[in-house]
Order: sequence, then structure tokens, then C-alpha cells
Amino acid sequence: MRWPNAISIKQIALAFITALMVLASLIGGFAAYQTRAVTQSLEQHNENAARSELTSAVQRLLKRTDEQAASLAHWDETRQQLVLPEYYAYWRDQRVYESGILPNRLVQAALYTRSGVLLALSSAQTDMPVRLPVRAMSRQPSSWMTGEAGRTAMYETFPIYIDERRQSLLGYGLLRLDFMPALLRQEPFHFADLASIRLTLKPGEVLPVSDLFSRLEFSARPDPDRLRFQKILSHMLLALFILLMVAALVGFVVYNRLLVRPLRRLSKDIDAMQHGRFSHHPSRSRALRVRELENVRRSLYEYQLQLRELHGSLEHQNREFHSQARQDALTRCHNRRAYEEDWENFRCEVKHSPQGVAFLLFDCDRFKTINDTYGHAKGDRVLTIIADALVMALRANDRLYRLGGDEFATFLSRTTPAQAKQIAQRCQSLLDASAFSDLGINEPVGISIGIAFCEADQLERIDDLPKQADIAMYTAKQPGRTRVALYGEDTERASQALVASRETSALFQALAEPGMIEMHYQSIHAMPGAKVVYFEALARIRHRDELILPDAFLPVINSRRLEAEFDLAVLNQVDADLLSEQLPPGIGVSINLSAQSISHPEIVSQLLELSRHNARHPLMLEITETSLITQMVEVRTYLDLLRTVNYRIAMDDFGTGYSPVRYLVDLPVDVVKFDISLVNKLGQDDRAGQVVADFARMMSDAGYSLVAEGVETRSVLHKVEHLGIAHVQGYLLSRPVPLAEAAASLVARTGGAARVA
Amino acid sequence: MRVFLLCLLLSVLPAAAHAAIVQQDVRPGIPANAEYLAGARDKPAVLLLHGFLQTREFATVTSLASGLQDAGYTVLSPTLSLNIPNRRQSLPCEAVHKHSMDDDVAEIGLWVDWLKSQGYRSIVLVGHSFGSLQLLAYLTTHADPAVKAYLGVSLIEAQIGAGSRQALIAQLEDRIQNKQRDLVTQSLSFCQKYISTPQALLSYVQWDQPHVLAALRQIPVRVKLIMGDADSTLGQGWLTALRHIRVPMVVVHGASHFLDGEHEFDLLNYMLQFLETIPQGTPR
Repeated sequence: MRWPNAISIKQIALAFITALMVLASLIGGFAAYQTRAVTQSLEQHNENAARSELTSAVQRLLKRTDEQAASLAHWDETRQQLVLPEYYAYWRDQRVYESGILPNRLVQAALYTRSGVLLALSSAQTDMPVRLPVRAMSRQPSSWMTGEAGRTAMYETFPIYIDERRQSLLGYGLLRLDFMPALLRQEPFHFADLASIRLTLKPGEVLPVSDLFSRLEFSARPDPDRLRFQKILSHMLLALFILLMVAALVGFVVYNRLLVRPLRRLSKDIDAMQHGRFSHHPSRSRALRVRELENVRRSLYEYQLQLRELHGSLEHQNREFHSQARQDALTRCHNRRAYEEDWENFRCEVKHSPQGVAFLLFDCDRFKTINDTYGHAKGDRVLTIIADALVMALRANDRLYRLGGDEFATFLSRTTPAQAKQIAQRCQSLLDASAFSDLGINEPVGISIGIAFCEADQLERIDDLPKQADIAMYTAKQPGRTRVALYGEDTERASQALVASRETSALFQALAEPGMIEMHYQSIHAMPGAKVVYFEALARIRHRDELILPDAFLPVINSRRLEAEFDLAVLNQVDADLLSEQLPPGIGVSINLSAQSISHPEIVSQLLELSRHNARHPLMLEITETSLITQMVEVRTYLDLLRTVNYRIAMDDFGTGYSPVRYLVDLPVDVVKFDISLVNKLGQDDRAGQVVADFARMMSDAGYSLVAEGVETRSVLHKVEHLGIAHVQGYLLSRPVPLAEAAASLVARTGGAARVA
Repeated sequence: MRVFLLCLLLSVLPAAAHAAIVQQDVRPGIPANAEYLAGARDKPAVLLLHGFLQTREFATVTSLASGLQDAGYTVLSPTLSLNIPNRRQSLPCEAVHKHSMDDDVAEIGLWVDWLKSQGYRSIVLVGHSFGSLQLLAYLTTHADPAVKAYLGVSLIEAQIGAGSRQALIAQLEDRIQNKQRDLVTQSLSFCQKYISTPQALLSYVQWDQPHVLAALRQIPVRVKLIMGDADSTLGQGWLTALRHIRVPMVVVHGASHFLDGEHEFDLLNYMLQFLETIPQGTPR
């Protein structure tokens, strides 16, 4: 069962009021119905009363006429006229009225002889018949009605006797009434409507009195009591209805004020609390009139206060967490997360309000050496002092971000290239004035600052500022420079050299178009015997039938931070070479990767894909020891992963980098490739050569597989062999050659060709 | 004359034992009736006549009749017809009065005859007010031996109000002579507007005080008048005039025209005293 949507209390109130009104209307309707029934009953009663009244009036008139007839019949003067009719007219016209026997001229009397002839014919009344109808000449009074020219006359004859015993008939009397006036003038009618009483007879029509009632038309007079009753009742019902309406309205207003509005207010408060909006409106602290609601309000108010306190506390903590999450724990300046958020916001802001923007990138010179030399604690202190100095040098509203390691950044709004350079120089000055000697660091600690600037009308380039600042920073780090470089100005020459050179153009083209990178393979030989066991894949760029060597494009890769893209292209090309199956099975392939690429997910993914060749060609990854591995844990994780798919890990250029021993300890290295500079030491019979020899021996004893790179002379080769280094690589044995050539040379070797000895 | 004895009701009670209504035609088509109260045969019969336009049902008449019957006298109290068949009601002044003194006298004669036909030879005529005048008029024209005496109670002349009687009589005579039959309205007796024919009216108007006094002196029977000295209807000096002619008369002190109330007994006593003096006629 699905319940309908919740309805509001106001709707309930409206429904209640409406129901009340409907109920009132029903009651009113019922009362009106009952009133109508009573009214109809009263009307019926009124009509009956009118009928009864009219019947009584007619009967009284008939009775009175009978009485008048009887009076006339017994009146001495009536008998006098029948015997001495000389003054009959006087009797007829005056005496009957003066004597009071006939009330008015509506009733006329006439006398007839025993034979039914009207007395005194000469002065006969025009309304009276000259002769009595035979039916009227009876011993009993006889009555009838006659229609006469729009009027209705009632006649009653009566016999007149001389004696009391009615034995001697003297004559007849006739009474004529103008019926309707006589009837209506008798006495006031209370129930019958006078104007409606009607008895219509055709002229000459004779109607027996017994049929009179059936021909009498009438209607009841409106009962004033009934009308008054109806009026009072209708007024009362109307007043009651209006009173009820007003009461309902007042009730609704009161209900609205006492219940609906407070409940709605409470509901809004709860909703606001649900959405975390707390407002201290004065009306909320005002007491409500309904006790239960007041209890709820008070509880809610107190709960809101508690909740607000809790919310404030949480908000404070949240701000703390937020601040901490955006703050670098070491230097107390903003961290990378804050940088990313602020930079995104800043980019949006300046697009809406164009202004000159500068991006400054700071990098501590030789920090790794300092860190390795003086330890992490001192290194951290150095970073803290650098951060303090930079913050002090920046403008009040500028923020300093630690991007990682010893790299800091800031972006300046509403500035010019000169101002940005001035700030950078102030940073240099303050840092130069810092007392690093208190930390026991005697050598100078400096920073290189790369600046990228974007004019207000070039804000579409703002996204390029970090990379430009990076390039400028690398420019600043170049020896002989002032350690502050502005992209576009100070990097102009280098950039022009880089960008305008054929190699740079070829590099970008190679990254965009697969197939331009060509892998050359230099063999690695197992000693003794110089058997080829591996080929080191070395990248070349073929551009317009010319081969560009790494020395030409690697600086561009480094300066543009294109290591990952380039390594990805190399891996794709190696994959393609291996798929060509030009190399015989069992011959391994060693691939060079930058340390930055190892932590790149796409590279790792490609490496995992490439590992399918391990069954045919053992694969080895060479990590250049000279590159700074800042994310050691992450790199180790990836390397462990790659080892599970049978990659071997080689430390390349060992002896030229920052922390060779630490890398060996922290990273899962299988092979150590001695740099050519160390290998060349072996050719010298001095102390350095001895150190290298001892170190190689120690490494070998520790289980590392050693490869001597850059073996170019036979003396070095002998020395290497003498030291027990298992593998050698160098121009003495082979130069890097294209795949097909390398494969051909390998076939030639296996076919009993020249052997290196 | 045709006499109808319509009803003779006898009862065990003496008073009602001899009561009956007697009816007879006084003129063609005009019957009249009288109450007959039979009394002792050895006593004179009394013919008791009502006043002007009244009937025998008039209170003074009925009480006298009752008293006389109680005293053993035969009483016949007729209602003059006034030309109305079987008249039962007092005739209003405004009614058409075609009756005359002559008609009244004739009817009285019929009733005297009726008494005589019943064997009464000693008849005393007793009248009240105008009835006394009508009886007096009868006596002036009829000398019947059976009529022994005349007793007039509150005898009064035919009063005509403030106008000149001579002029009225002359006017009426003129109308009669010119055969003008139009009704005349005249004050007569207690009627302010008495409607009558000239001839009929003249028959009454002639009876002024001198005419009455003369008649009293003229009639051949014993006469007795019973008058009240507080009778306001009597003309000024009437009692004096009566005394002047030495007519036997009893004046009841304080009595009104109707001698009603306490004076009824005086009236009856005086009447009985007078009747006792009347000799009994020899019955047939």
C-alpha cells in the first residue's frame, strides 16, 4: 500500500474548516429542509384553516340568511304587507333595514303572494323575479345561486304563515344576496385570501346551495406568523452560517497563529538544521503560546544551540583539518594540494579580471647533496629556513607552496616581469643572508628561481606558466647564470637553440608520429667468452634520413620534462622490434628508463604489456642512477611489481649519481652497471682504480650481477675480466647498431665468427 | 263573526287551568288573538287592554291579568291587531300604521262580544295608558248593558308633541280631502316618528284632553281612574283636570306611568276594591 504524500498541517486545518463548513451547510440544508417541511405543513394547515374559515363563513352566511328569512317570516310587519301591501315599497326599502332584520342593501327582500306573484308589481325591484320558481314555493325554505351579469346572487325563499302553527299560508318571502360581497363583508378573514375567493357562474346558471362549496375557489392568505417564522428562521440560519463562517475564519486564524505558523517555523528550523544552516533569529527565542509547542521549541532551540556549538567545533576542526591538509608539515607553507586548488582558482579568477601574472618556481641547489651529507634533519632545517626566507620575501598576499622535495612555487597577481624579478632577487638576497652556518653547513646554500610571466592580454597561455617556469628554473641552474631566469628573456638563447634546432623539431615529431624513433642495439657480453646475452636498446631519432643521437635530444627531453612520453614511445618501438622476432630466442633486451617514468602508471602498464616477451627474450630495465629518485617507496613498489613479471632491474651509470649505496639498499636491483667513468678508472693503476676494483669485488660478492659499461680498450677489458665482472659492454666489443644489423651480427657470431678475447 | 277557540289548555293548577288563547278575525284576513283566563262565573269578567302599540304580553298587563285571575276574575287580554294578522310583537313607531281608533274600537267591541258569547253579563273594561283611551273611545260609541264599569290606569290623551293639534288636524283633514295617501310622520304618544296614513293618524289625534274629559263625563258606566302622581308622560295639569271633572280617581303617590314595582300591589288592590263594587250580571 502506498501512502499519499504527507500533507501540511495547514491543509489539515483547511480540510477541517472545509469539513466544518460542509457540515454546517448540511445541517443548514437539513434545517432548511425541515423548515420547508414545517412550512409546507403550515401552508397545508393554513389552507385547511382557510377552507374551514371559508366554509364557516359560508355556513354563517347561510345560517344568517336563514335567520333573516325566519325573522322576516315571523315579523308582524311582513304579514302586514301581505294583507295591506299599500306601503310595501316603504317596508321593502326602509323598514326591513331600519328594523335591523336585514343588515344592509346587499341583502334584499321581496314578498310574494300565495300564488308566487311579486307584490306591488308597479314598484317591483328589477333584481327580483316577478314570479317565484315553482320549486321555491314549498313549505320549507329553499335556496339557490344564480349567475347574473358578472355577479352571483343567492336567493332564499321562505313561506309566511298567519298563525304560529303554520297552517294558513299567507304568502312567500324572498331574500336576495349579492353573494360575494355579503360573504366577504361578514367579518374579516384571517386565513383565506379575500381577493382569491371566487364563485363563477355563467349568466343564468342556477346552482343549488348544496353544490356551492364545490364551486367556490379560494386560496389561503399567506400566514404572517409562518412568514415571520420563515423570515426569523432564515435570518437565524443566515446569521448562524455567517457566525460559523466568521468563527471558522477566526478559528483558522487562531489555529494558524497558534499552531500552523509555529509548527511551520519549527519545521523550517529543523530543515535549516538538517541543511546545516543555523541562524539566530530573534523570533526563535520568543515563547510560543501553546505549551506543548513551546516545549518543542525550547527543546529544539536548546538542541540547536548545542548543535551549533557542536557544528562550530566541527567546523573549527574541519578548518584545522583543511588547513593542515593544505599545509606542509615541515615548512608550514602551503603544500601541493593547496597549490593545485589555489592555482585552479587563480586561473579562473584572472580569466575574469585580466591582469599580469607571474609564476615563480624555486629549487634548492644541491639539496640532495646537502641532505645526504648532513642528514635529513639538517636537510629539513634547510628547507624550513628557505621557506621562511621566501615567505618573508614575498608580498603580503602571496602564498608559497612546497611542491615536493626542495621545490617551491608561488604565483603573483597584478605584477610585471620586473616586479617578479625584483621579488625573486629579494628572495635570493634574504636566503643569502640566512645563517645556514648555524646548522653547521659551511658551504653556500642557494636556490634557483625560474619565472614565467603572462601579460593580461595573453591569459590563454596561463596554463603554460608552470612548465615555462620549470624551463626557466633549469636555465637558472645552468652554470654561470644568475640563478634567476625569466622565461622568454633569459631562456631565449637556450630555448631558441632547443626549439629551433633540428633535433628538437625531430623529437616532437617523433613523439607525435610513431616509427620515427629507431632503436639501436648494443650487445652486452658475458665474460669470459664474450657471449652476447643481452642487447641494450638505445633510442635514436631518424629524421629526414639522418639519425639524431641522444646527446642532441635528451637535454630537450629533460628541459621539457618529456621523459614519460619519450619512454612510452621507446617501449612501443621495442615492443614492435621484439614482435618482429629478428632477435633469436634467449637473447635478452635491456631497456633504459628514467626514474620519473617508473612512477608513471602508463609506463608501468606498458611494461606489464611488454613482459609477454620475457619467455623469448629476458627483459631488463635500466634505471639511471644519476636521476634523483624522490618517490623512493613508490618506485620500489612498481619495481617489485615488474620483477614479479620477470623483469630484471639494473642500476645504470652506477657511480655518477647521488646516492649509489642508498639506491642499492632501497631498490630491488639485480644488476649494477658501472659507469664508463668508473670503468676507465680500472685502467689506471692508482688508488682510485684499486677502490673501484675493491668495490666491484664487494658488489659481486654481495650477489649483484655486474656490467662494465664503456669498455673501449683491451686493457680495461682485461682488468674487468680480472675483477670477475661477469658482463661487459662497450665500443671495444660492439657499437649500437640497428636491429637488423644486430641480429645479423649475432648470427655471424654464433656461426663461429670473430670472438673477442 | 267567526270565533276560533284554538286552544284551551287545562291543567291541574288553578291559575293555569282556565288559560287559553283566543283568536278571531277582526277584519278579513286579519286574525287577532287574546288570552283568556277563565275565572269565577260569579264575578265580573275583565277585558284588559294593553297600551299604545304594545301587546298583551306587556309587563303591566300580564301582572294585572295574573293578579286578577288569582283573585278569581275572568280576564281576557287581547292584542289589538293594528291591521296585522296575528300580531305578536310590539309595533315599532316607524312601521306603517294603517290602523285607526275606529279599528281599535271595533276590535274591542268584538272582544266584548266574545266575552258575552262566553256568557259573561258583567264586564269591566280595564285599560292601561293608551289602552284606557281606546276603551274610553269604545264606551263613547257603544252602550252595551253587559259592560258595567270602566277602569282606566294611567289614562292619557293622544299626545302629539309640541305642535299645534288644530293645525295638524287641519293638515290631515286636508290630505284626506285631497286623497293624499302618502304616509305621514308625526309625533304621537311616545313615538317621535310615528308613520301613518293621514286618516288613521287623524283618528287618534282628535283625542285631546278636552275630548277625553268630555268622554269621561259622558260614558254610562261606572268609572274609576288609577293614576300615579309621578307619571312623567302625563300632560301638564292632566290630573288637575281630571279632578276638576270629579271623576273617581285614585292617585297613587310616587307611582310612574306603569305603576310598576311596589306600586303594582297598590294598583291591584285599588283595582280589586273597584271590582268588588261591580254587581254581578246574571249569567245566561
